[in-house]
Parts: sequence; C-alpha cells; structure tokens
Amino acid sequence: MALVGESVRTVTREEVARSITGSKRHIGGMLFVAGTVVALMGTLVVLFVLIAQLITQAWPVITGRGVGFLTDGLSSRPSTIGVWPGLYGSFAIGIIVLIVAIPLGVAAAVYLEEYAPPTKVTRFIVINIRNLAGVPAVIYGVLGLTIFVGWLEPVTSGRTILAAGLAVAVLVLPIVIITSTEAIRAVPGGLREAGYGVGATKWEVVRDHVLPYAAPGILTGIVLSLARALGEAAPLILVGAITGLLPETSLNGPFTALPMLVYSWSGRPSAGTEVDWANVAAAAGLTLVVLVLLFNAAAIVMRNHFERKRNGL
Amino acid sequence: MTFRHTSLTQWVRRTVTLSVVVPLVVLASGCGEFNGGASSSGGSTVFVTGSSTVEPISILVGEFVRREGIAVAVEGPGTGDGFKKFCAGEGDVTGASRPIKDEEVEMCREAGVEFVELPVAVDGLTVVTNRANTVVDCLDSAALYALLGPESEGMRRWSDANDLAEEVGSSFTSLPDMPLSISGPGEESGTYDSFVEFAVADIAEERGTEEYLRPDYVASGNDNLIVEGLNGSKTSLGWIGYAFYVGDKEEVRGLEIVNEEGDCVEPTDETIASGTYPFSRTLFIYVNARSARDNDAVRRFIDAYLGPESDALVRDAGYVPLSESVKQAAFDAWGALS
Amino acid sequence: MNLIDLSGDKRRLRRDARMQVALRTAALVSVVISALILFVLVRGAVDFLTKIDLGQLVDSGWYPRRDRFGLSTIVVGSVIVGGIAMLVAVPFGLGTAVYLAEYAPSRVRSVVKPVIEVLAGIPSVVVGYFALRFIAPEVVGRLFDPTQPRNMLVAGIGIGILVVPIMAAVSEDALRAVPASLREASYGVGARRSTTVIRVVLPAAVSGIVAATIIAASRAIGETMVATMAGGLDGSGPFSASPLEPGLTMTAAMTNAAGGSDQVQAGAPFLVLFFTGLLLFMVTMGLNIVGDRFVRRVREKY
Repeated sequence: MALVGESVRTVTREEVARSITGSKRHIGGMLFVAGTVVALMGTLVVLFVLIAQLITQAWPVITGRGVGFLTDGLSSRPSTIGVWPGLYGSFAIGIIVLIVAIPLGVAAAVYLEEYAPPTKVTRFIVINIRNLAGVPAVIYGVLGLTIFVGWLEPVTSGRTILAAGLAVAVLVLPIVIITSTEAIRAVPGGLREAGYGVGATKWEVVRDHVLPYAAPGILTGIVLSLARALGEAAPLILVGAITGLLPETSLNGPFTALPMLVYSWSGRPSAGTEVDWANVAAAAGLTLVVLVLLFNAAAIVMRNHFERKRNGL
Repeated sequence: MTFRHTSLTQWVRRTVTLSVVVPLVVLASGCGEFNGGASSSGGSTVFVTGSSTVEPISILVGEFVRREGIAVAVEGPGTGDGFKKFCAGEGDVTGASRPIKDEEVEMCREAGVEFVELPVAVDGLTVVTNRANTVVDCLDSAALYALLGPESEGMRRWSDANDLAEEVGSSFTSLPDMPLSISGPGEESGTYDSFVEFAVADIAEERGTEEYLRPDYVASGNDNLIVEGLNGSKTSLGWIGYAFYVGDKEEVRGLEIVNEEGDCVEPTDETIASGTYPFSRTLFIYVNARSARDNDAVRRFIDAYLGPESDALVRDAGYVPLSESVKQAAFDAWGALS
Repeated sequence: MNLIDLSGDKRRLRRDARMQVALRTAALVSVVISALILFVLVRGAVDFLTKIDLGQLVDSGWYPRRDRFGLSTIVVGSVIVGGIAMLVAVPFGLGTAVYLAEYAPSRVRSVVKPVIEVLAGIPSVVVGYFALRFIAPEVVGRLFDPTQPRNMLVAGIGIGILVVPIMAAVSEDALRAVPASLREASYGVGARRSTTVIRVVLPAAVSGIVAATIIAASRAIGETMVATMAGGLDGSGPFSASPLEPGLTMTAAMTNAAGGSDQVQAGAPFLVLFFTGLLLFMVTMGLNIVGDRFVRRVREKY
C-alpha cells in the first residue's frame, strides 16, 4: 500500500479512499463538484454582468452630468433630466418608515419576547407575522390604495407620499419585528435575572438592560429594512406615483420616488448616440443600487463594530 | 457590562432623535427648492392629464412656462382615462387625441364640470410596419378592417385576412403569407378610438359588427413600448401617433394609406398639414372652466399653449401646427372663457 | 420590613402595566394588518364577482376593458414565468449552496457570501431594467426567435436571477444543519466527498431544500416589477402558453388594473384588482405555509 513507508505528511481523505478502493479518480464525483462550481461562477458572472451593464449604460450620464443628475428635476429630455424628485420622495418614504414601522415593530418584538405568555394567541400572532413577511409587495400596494389613499384620505390627501410611505412602512413592519425578535432573543437570560434580582419591574429590565444589549441587532435590522423600503416599487405604482412631469416635490401632492423613475424611464425609447432614456434609466438604477448597498454595508459594519465592542469588553 | 448601558441608551436616544428631526426639517424646507421657484400653494400648479399622444406637447409647454415660475405636472394615462379623471374634477387640463364623446360630455355635465375644447395640433395617425417588411407598402381602410377589425380575432398571418378583405371591398386581397404580429395602443387610448373611427367604424356599421378592434394583440399604453414591439418582429403591424413614428424612424416604416381619390399617400409633415393624408386628426386639450377662472397659472399655461411659441413647441413634439383659421377659432374660444 | 414594603412602588407597577398594554397593542397591530388585507381583498373580490357572470372567467384572453377576464391567461402566465424562474434559480441556487456548504474553503466563503448578499439586495426594478435592456435583446433575442422582444422567457430569467440568493441562502442553511456526525460516518466507511454529499448530506437536507424551493417559488410568483416590465403584455392580451410570446402574470395584471382611472372604482376592470390579489394572496400564502412546515421539520430533526 502506498501509505506504508511514507514519511510524515498529511494524508487526505481522498488518498485514503483511493488507496482503499484502488480505483482511479471518480469522474462522476469530479463532475458533480465541477457542476457546483459552475453554479457558483454562473451566479457571480450574472451579478457581474448586471452591474457592468448598469455602469456602462450609466457612464455617459455620470461623466456628462455628474452631480447635476442628482440635483436636477424632471424634464422631457433625457439630457436634462435629474433624479432629485425621486431622491426626495425616497427620502420622505424612509422617514415615514422610520417614524411608523420602527417603533411599532420594536414594541411588538419586545412584547412577543418579554411579555407574551406561551398561549395559542401568542402562537397565532407569531405565525401571522411570519405570513405577513411573505406577502407579495403588490398586495401591500392594494392595501395602501384602499386604506391609505381611500379610507384615510382626510389624513393623507389621497395619492401622496404620505400614503405611499405608510404602505411601505406596513410592508417592512414584519421584517423589523422578526429581526428585533432575534436580537432580543440573543440577550442572555442572566442579564434579566440580575435585573429582577434587584427588584426591577419587567419594563425597567427591558428598558435598561435588554434593549440596550439588543440595540445593535435592532439597529442592524432597522437599516436592513430601510434598504428594503428604498427598493420597493410595486406599492408606489398602486398608490399612484407620477411618471410624467413633476415640477416640485411636496408632502401632500403628486409624488414620485427613485424606483418609480427607474421603472418609468426603462420603458422609454433608447435610440441614437446622445444620452437617451436607457442611459438615464441606468443612471437612476445605479443610484438606487448604490444607496441600497450603502445601507446594507452600514448594517454589516455596525454589526461588526458592536460585536467587537461587546466581545472586547 | 451593565454600567455602560446608560450611555448606550442615551446614545441611541440621541441618534434616533437627530435622525428623525433633522430630516423632517430638511423635508419641510426642501419643498419646491429645485424648480423655478414656484410657491407651493395649490393655486399655482397646473395638473394635466389625458392622452399620451398629447402628453409630449403638454410637457414641452410646461417646461416653457416653468421660467415664469409656473409649476406644471403632466401625466398621460390615455384619452379615455383622462376624461374620467377630468370629469371628476381631478385635473385642470386633459389632453385628447380624439374629440370628447357624448357620454363623456354627459359625465362632465352631471358632475358640474364646465370645460372648453381647444384644438392644439394636427396629428397623422400612422400605420406602421417593420422596415424589414418590404412586401406591403400601401393599404386601404377595408384591408385594415380585415386585418385588425372585430372579425379578425385569431388571424395569425397576414394572408388569413385575404378572404375578409375581398368581402369588404378592399383592393388589397393578396396579402402575403407571413406572421402577423400586432402592437398598438389599448382601449384607454384616444389613438385607439381614432383608428377605429378611421378604419373600422364605417365598415363595422355596414356589417353590423361591433365598433371595436380585435382584442388579441399586444396592447400598451406606452407608445415607446409599442414601437419596440414593432421593431421586434420583422412582419409586424401597428398604429401610433405621428410624433412617435417620426421619433423612431430607425426600424419602422409608415405605410401609405389610400385616400378618397384612390391614391396611396405617405404620412409626412406636408400631407398631414394639407389633409391629403387620410388619417389626419386634430389633437385637443380640454380646460376646466373653473380652474381657468380661479387659477392664474392655468390661464398663463393655456396662453402659452395657444401663443406665438406654440408652432415651435408643436413641431418640437413631432406634430403639425394648426392652420391659421383653426388657430383663430381656438383663440376665440379661449378668449370667450377668460 | 413587612410584606407591604416588598410589594413595590405603586407608580412603577402602574407604569409597567401601562407599558405592557402598549406593547401588546403594538403586537396586535400585525393581526389587524392581516385582517385588513383579507377584508380589503375579499370585499373587492366579492364586489367583482357580483358584477360579472362567472362564465367570463373561463374566457380565452385577459381583456379587462372588454369585460373578458379569462383567468387561464394570467394563471398560466404566472405558472410559465414562475416555472422558468425556478428552472433558473434551483440549479444555480442549490449548486451554489452545495459548493459553499460542502466544498468551499473558508476564505472563498467569506468573499462569496457577501457577494450573494449584494445580489439579494438589488431592487427588483433594477433587475427589471436588466431584463428589458440586456436579457431581452442580447440573450433571448440572439439565442431564440421570439415574436416580441419582451416575453415570458425574458421575465422568467429575470425573476430567476432575482430569486437565486433566497434559494442559495435557505438551501445552505439546510445543508449546514446536517450534523457533522452523519458526514463523518460516511467518510468512516470510505466514501469520497462527492459520494457523501450526494448520498448522505443531500438526502438528509431534503426537507430544507424543498422548503427553499417552495419559498423561492412563492417569491417568484409574487414578483411584480420584472414581470410588469419584461413580461410583454401591458394589462391585456391573448392567452398564450409559449414562453417566447408575451404573457401576463397575475402580478402584472394587478399593476395594470390599478393604473386605470380611479373614478371607475366600482367597475369590473378596476375591481378585478382585488380578485386577482386575493388569488395571488392565497397562492403565495399556501406556498409559504407549506414551506414553513418543511423548515420547521428541518429544525425539529436536528
């Protein structure tokens, strides 16, 4: 046997197998591994091509207009159009999500993890939230149209950013709840026990011990849900974002947001060598992708930072 | 660990407050900054809805008046949808690529919406095929009825329409045997209605069929997607407003249409303006009378629409300016209102 | 000291009770939302059904403005587009997951995983743009001969790309959940790594992989933007079962139904929005529940 007489060296599993069975390399096995590698490479290549195509198409706009693209308003010509109304709209939606979905979501998570008795009702609420997380975005759009544009018209003035923001807030609410739940669950029980041990009430333990400990995880969840909220377009279409000309941005009038601009500009003609709609659509799409990536990266950085801080203590 | 928690809580509280208050302040003050400085009071915005054919003109006029500080919002859901919104009080102006229908007049009357009809441009509804289609050059209304009318649902090749074309008296009864891929506006579009009016209505009335087109085609409210669909198939057939045809002459070709004298006429600026092209039609805007009276911005917008710059703006959009007499009539109608 | 001292400060206890009520209300909001969704959809769907006669639903072709609501058109559209999406997502997603979980050295893993997360974060509108401007002309247009540039194949591929990260992530979790002891036992009897993976790990992770597929399918069917932008039909069109022809999914039908005029809110072409929404909701909910059950089975096993 080949192993006998060998000097000290690492023997791999494969070599043992081969020497035991005495056969040559297993073609089927190698094909299988190759297959998985192809799958991986394929995924990476697609991502690469997507980003590359986006950047190449957006390039004339980036080099030609620069920051102007971000500050100019809508117009009829791709050479003068900018995404400012979209940025404004997306920004406003983000604020509404922050104000509405975050407190509600974190509060619900706190209740579920700290207060809720293990009854059927609680189980029902948990299942319900998991279901909501899987509901397609367009359904939240329908909800937004009927309730926020329709029933709540006195408050939202109909098809406005407020209604759209609320629809998106409801959409990300389950995500906030789920991520906050996980963050709170990770808090060690000893911390709570210590609090109770010195006579604190449940709320005091939560407020002063559990929440601060879970805060990094909760923050990460918030940032991730904001990233998700930024990219959603279906609810905006249903609530009625404008895709034509929009002169100014306001909270209680016609509105638009970044994903809507990408959607609407993608459908316009792409012809000729000068900056055309395909270019500005790509530029708007790139802006959106960069924003989303920034948020996601911020979440990762925050998570690492707090983990290090906690472990280094 | 626990003795650091207070600072973390305070930090969180501070960050959250800042990240909510600061953006709110920015939002509140940021309204209306990056435009021509128009104030955000409701009375100085103009909301234009309606036809996607007229939309390019309205957008150009809107940009033109932006310099004067007037804010104009424009959308183009379609002539029919535009009227529905308009007669419900939503929208100061609605564009239409066909005249208002009786039912729509009734709708507006019932809702108490008074309006004035103003012609603004001339369009030549263009029947289009792919440039690669070198076989078909000219068609008449009867052939179009046979290819696109209500009795043609299910016809997948041009030659399928030959029998029907002969029945309705077309001169084009040997259409080629090639796939028929149709792209055109949907029923919410005035261009759809215009086409029915031009090509289908008379024959449909004679034969007692519905005044509708066959439904099984790729309908789109987005004129550019229609053109893309036409580009996509070598033997496609469709119809769009002249501006969208002219803007995309790369891959599509306008078919000649037989006029009353029996000649095949190609859609060009000249033939549309002179009326020799049989599918010429007028584009209109309808203005809400109350908006015109109460909203100064609307008045100035319409003044610009009909004013000295209008010819240039209309040409810029790809359409043909009105003749002098029609323009004068429009002036008078507008003058009577304001 | 007596019992009265130990019973606690009344004020703090009251605040604790108030907070409990407030927090419970927050949790119940989610139930309210679910109830509202169901209410809105069902009411609209019932309104719709009363306005039409059921025969219209078995028509051929989806022409809402013509009062023709052939359900088969949009259901088949969703099935074909979703099916193509899964044909793309399962091999790539599962293959990637297997590689990452079983073969990848940790350095490769630490580079690849964030990249997949980037793909997961790309908004669906951007993938829609990519489908419209790249997949349609360069991929489908060159390799096949479609009747229209936008068609169900383009939309299916786009959605497949969108869904690969979910497929990969959940599958990978399932694979990693398989205990090391199973793998080691397999190596112990002399099996190669690939044999181990194919014959031991994959079968053990089947529940999780099925869960991943179902969750991914639910996401694919619920996807709206790519289907609307690249599917080919803008709200109405004839029935088609060929992927190279333009098609209409349930989700795209909904975006177009809502885009119509608001004033005819009581009309069937608008109300069909709720009916289609209810259908979509039930399908995705059904898939989610089944997928969830598989996920829980995985957790229970190990």
